[in-house]
Amino acid sequence: MTNLEKYRQAFITALNADENILDDLNYQDIKEWDSVGHMSLVAELEDAFDIEMETDDIIDFSSYKKGMEILRKYHVEL
Amino acid sequence: MMEITARNIRQWNRLGPRAVYGLALYELIGRDERVYALSADLGTSSGLGRLMADAPERYLNVGIAEQDLIGVSAGLAKEGLIPFASSFAPFITMRCADQVRMNMGYMHLNIKAVGLSSGVSVGGLGNSHFGADDVALMRAIPGMVVLSPADCVEVVKAVEAAAAYEGPVYIRLTGEAGFPNIHNGDIDLKIGKAISLREGEDVTIIAAGSMAHMAAEVSDRLRERGAGCAVLDMHTIKPLDTEAVRRAAKRSGLIVTMEEHSVIGGLGSAVAQVIAGEGVRPRAISLGMPDAYLKNGSYSYLLEQCGLTVDAATERIWDALQE
Repeated sequence: MTNLEKYRQAFITALNADENILDDLNYQDIKEWDSVGHMSLVAELEDAFDIEMETDDIIDFSSYKKGMEILRKYHVEL
Repeated sequence: MMEITARNIRQWNRLGPRAVYGLALYELIGRDERVYALSADLGTSSGLGRLMADAPERYLNVGIAEQDLIGVSAGLAKEGLIPFASSFAPFITMRCADQVRMNMGYMHLNIKAVGLSSGVSVGGLGNSHFGADDVALMRAIPGMVVLSPADCVEVVKAVEAAAAYEGPVYIRLTGEAGFPNIHNGDIDLKIGKAISLREGEDVTIIAAGSMAHMAAEVSDRLRERGAGCAVLDMHTIKPLDTEAVRRAAKRSGLIVTMEEHSVIGGLGSAVAQVIAGEGVRPRAISLGMPDAYLKNGSYSYLLEQCGLTVDAATERIWDALQE
């Protein structure tokens, strides 16, 4: 599985999100991406990429696209 | 039952005790049709956002009317349901004290009252929102169970234990998101049975809620200095684990209580009452909030003002051991 596939799969697993809407998905666009879902998503990504995200990054993670940018800080190339 | 895994614990720790309470209740209503969530206009602050969205028929918002919150809960309990009513700690204890006393106390109804952000964790909101005297009030009511979970794992376990217990329970939430965990896996939380966190002979710290993890760290520091320090996580303040207190009093020459509550009427008073009846006489020190109104500030600032930090507690106990 490529990093991008892992990234997308994390959204599908944690938020039960439809793969077709991922590219433009923002925090709270779907009811599953609430504060609880957000922490599930973070946990999913941390496990997938073996990283531990900092609090500021967890807060800044406001969309699918923003998340890609943040993960680069952790040397995850997508 | 909620799954206690390392990953879930990490996630709960980030969410904080209020959100974890909401998650535990969300899970509970899915498997017990008698359970209802109630709040006095603090559903989101109670971590109930998901429950409110997915199961609105199981959530009641009575508005900013805590007396009604307990009254409506009493009605549900009389019908055989299990209401969990939540609000900030002083609002669900002191503000509606008479309703609590009559419905949860005298009528001994199966109501679970949940005090959010007790102690000083809502530092910026000030004394009106601080939970300085909720334990003093609730433990004075006959038949009331008072739980003070020490971390998010214990919050989950306390909610489950409260639901399984037939009778009135007060669950006191302390700490905030990101507060250290003391448990890294599943635990057997039994109402009225303290959990030993550290062993030691010279001193025993009996701690509740947010102070348990600090007490463990204090113990580690004292051990480095050559003093053995036992730590008891007293997650149930009433009924108190009197046997554990008696054993500690016989073993240690110094008993220290740590609580994010006034030094009057809380865990320290409950422990002192037990020790006073024993033949042995260890010295007892009560660490908690002073008998005074505090100035607003951040959570960490207020804990520091109360002397409820690892540094301050370590020095206070170390000095007492040297005397």
